Amino acid sequence: MSRGFNQLLEAVVRIDVREAVFESGARRYSAGIGSGVILSADGLVLTNAHVVSPRAVELSITLSNLERVGATLVGWDHWTDLAVLRIDVADARRRGLKFATAEFGDSAKLFPGQTVFAVGTPHGLTRTVTRGIISNNNRYFEDSTGVGGYETGAFNTWLQTDAAINPGNSGGPLVTEAGRVVGISSRGYLGANNLGFAIPSAIAQKIVTGLVRDGAITRSTIGLVPAALQDLESFYALALNTGVLINSVAPGSPAARAGLRGGDILLAIDGVKVDGRFPEQLPPIQNLIASRPVGDRLKLTYKRGGQTAEVAVMTERLESRVGEEWALEKWGLSVRKVSRTFARENQLSSDVGVVVIGVQAGFPAEVAGLSRGDVITKINQQPVDSLEVIKAAHAAYEVQPAPTLIEAQRDRRVSLYILKP
Amino acid sequence: MKRFCLLILLMLPWSVRAAPDLPTLLAERLKCVVAVEYFTETETERRPSSAYGVVIDVRGTIILPAAAVDPRATPSQLKEFKVYLPGAAASAAAVYLGQDALTGWHFVRVEERWRAQLVPITRFVIEGGAVEPALAEAVWGIGLRNKDEDFMPYLLQGNVALVQNLPQRTAIAQQEVAGPGLPVFNRAGGFVGLAATSFGQTFLQFSRAERGGSPTMLINVEESSAFYVASEILPHLGRVPQSVYGRPLAWLGAYGFEPMDREVAKFLKLEAQSGAVVSEVLEGSPAEKAGMLPRDIVLAIDGQALPRFKPDRVVVSFVEREVERRQPGAGLALTVLRGAERVELNVTLGDEPKLMREAARSYYDRLGFTAREFVYGDAVARRVKAADGTGVIAHFVKANSPAFIAGLRTDDWIKEIDGVEVQTFAAATEQLAKTESDLLRAEFVLLVSRGGETAVLRVKLR
Repeated sequence: MSRGFNQLLEAVVRIDVREAVFESGARRYSAGIGSGVILSADGLVLTNAHVVSPRAVELSITLSNLERVGATLVGWDHWTDLAVLRIDVADARRRGLKFATAEFGDSAKLFPGQTVFAVGTPHGLTRTVTRGIISNNNRYFEDSTGVGGYETGAFNTWLQTDAAINPGNSGGPLVTEAGRVVGISSRGYLGANNLGFAIPSAIAQKIVTGLVRDGAITRSTIGLVPAALQDLESFYALALNTGVLINSVAPGSPAARAGLRGGDILLAIDGVKVDGRFPEQLPPIQNLIASRPVGDRLKLTYKRGGQTAEVAVMTERLESRVGEEWALEKWGLSVRKVSRTFARENQLSSDVGVVVIGVQAGFPAEVAGLSRGDVITKINQQPVDSLEVIKAAHAAYEVQPAPTLIEAQRDRRVSLYILKP
Repeated sequence: MKRFCLLILLMLPWSVRAAPDLPTLLAERLKCVVAVEYFTETETERRPSSAYGVVIDVRGTIILPAAAVDPRATPSQLKEFKVYLPGAAASAAAVYLGQDALTGWHFVRVEERWRAQLVPITRFVIEGGAVEPALAEAVWGIGLRNKDEDFMPYLLQGNVALVQNLPQRTAIAQQEVAGPGLPVFNRAGGFVGLAATSFGQTFLQFSRAERGGSPTMLINVEESSAFYVASEILPHLGRVPQSVYGRPLAWLGAYGFEPMDREVAKFLKLEAQSGAVVSEVLEGSPAEKAGMLPRDIVLAIDGQALPRFKPDRVVVSFVEREVERRQPGAGLALTVLRGAERVELNVTLGDEPKLMREAARSYYDRLGFTAREFVYGDAVARRVKAADGTGVIAHFVKANSPAFIAGLRTDDWIKEIDGVEVQTFAAATEQLAKTESDLLRAEFVLLVSRGGETAVLRVKLR
């Protein structure tokens, strides 16, 4: 193999993760294995967001020389399924550990049929190389719960490859024969043969820059859910390759407040025409909105029936449906903050509250009758507008256990419960 | 003169003399029970159903339990009511009179020529009115076999094991004592109750599921061991509906009452009573006009504190029945707990808005679906303002029809047809009828909303 390829092999690492999980009404830990690639001499490692998330409590990196070293999370972005870690370089230096760094290639120049290699730790088998070709260089693949329950894939397309990608390959690089990183292996189709997907390096480079600079990627949204027009142009009396169908508008979102609704055709954003005839064309359109600053004004041109109209919409910050999680262990109760997106999706009147994601049998929450999916809106008559409110009530209970009144909503029904010592 | 005698006879309550033997009692009482058969005609199906009923007056009026008719069916789909006597193949025609909101009973009336051979249940009422059966008392009733066995009657017997307020006073026997909807008697032959339907209510009320879980129970649909005691039946026999839709219907407009459990009551220092939490107050409803707010806890009705029930959940039907037993326009004084404060609300009950079963419908066989008028309940279910309730509902979608293949599903909300916003039901039916009859049309387009998501469906007709 080329010198570049050999160097790349020295830059691929195994990542062992211990992370907190809250589903069972208590804080528990689970362990997982993934792959990563070292990007810089100061120890930045790129991997998948579904390998390392903010829930991680312990990260251990195995270098290509099989030595282990600690690391910390720099930032993650579930939308593109990417996370950046930093190796404990001081420790590595003290122990005289050496590692190589990888270089990015240009994913835009990839062509179907081009040979690529996936390097990683499938099923814990360190430093495994598999070979395949680029099967498709522009795959649309959106999943609303794809990254540990978080949304992914709305803003990018993926590389598809037949290089074997197995669990544990996640976060490892997809490279050319010259050893250039053109993608980050991310997922495979379960039960299918050789259908693997990777995030293109062109996207990964931007995300790495953003995560290193800000620790997070901030995106904008206006609440539109687009759909491909496919062959509906004639019905809407549109020229081919014009506009994108607005499939739905999130209730209460900026687009909804501006009067847009499902069935409208979005023709242009700030005068720039959009073309959403095919599903593959949707991520770039979504990205066009997402990459604008939060609070920016967009001028949308849309068509409804025979009329074309313009409307100004102010962007707001994109939030995941999944809020922060916590376990209130004395009550045997795990909760997740209701996010604005969750509230809108579930037609809640506001984002006040926490969702019950788990209860432990025999503990006060379960005994009182709370169950998974209930939305706790008040505790001792106080609105739960942040996780801190319920944490504080729990802390008070830990000091002095006393009956605690909970108001919770299940579907649309409001009930009262008592957590009893 | 003859008619006068008959009247006297009927007004005399049946009295307990030296108790006749069971065979004699059973033979007499068979005359107050019938089997009722009818057909439900939907867009593509014609389904026979049968239920058991009891005769309540000399005019041939018969009551059937609530579960006798599928709640999704509208009265216009119910056809060809027929009445059968136990063990006989002959039948007589009957008309459907409607459902009563409070008791849930469906009323039918048999044709005149048969009325003379029927005996109303009131003939067997114990002298001095309804007496509640004692614990362990022996009771018996009648079961009826299916149509293929000519609804042959058979005897069921048991002892009362438990009597409870659910919220109706309900006795539960050790085993099945009657077919659902059929009467139960004591050893002397006096009427002591009407068997509760073994499906639906029984399913929820007699199971001891925890609040969080879903109740499960094996159910015998042809016989029941639970019966409402006579005092819950006799006062309501006069509630013959004035219309097939069961109107007038009183309306409060508070949605989703939830029980207050014992621990919560204790916490709120309301140990001696019960309460019901209001989940939502519906737009434009009498409850809203009276100033009720979501999360108010109803503590008293007309100054009477809500009684404690076992299980707690029963308080919900207690409150609902307090509304149902009243007429539109009647007052309802509610005491609610709002935060730490007690608030008095004086509600004037309204008229229930048009129900789904009353909504206009139209079926298009070639398109493959039924369009139904959008009613108030649809707006509630979809959490939109009633004023935004334009469009029509896909009430039924025929499997593998063009509409089905295009992705239309039952309960989808059709907002646009061929790019034209649907303003009224009439406008929708006009447009759909035109599309249905135009054999040259190759396709049409629907904009539908389902669970807050909108989708454009392209229906291919050729």
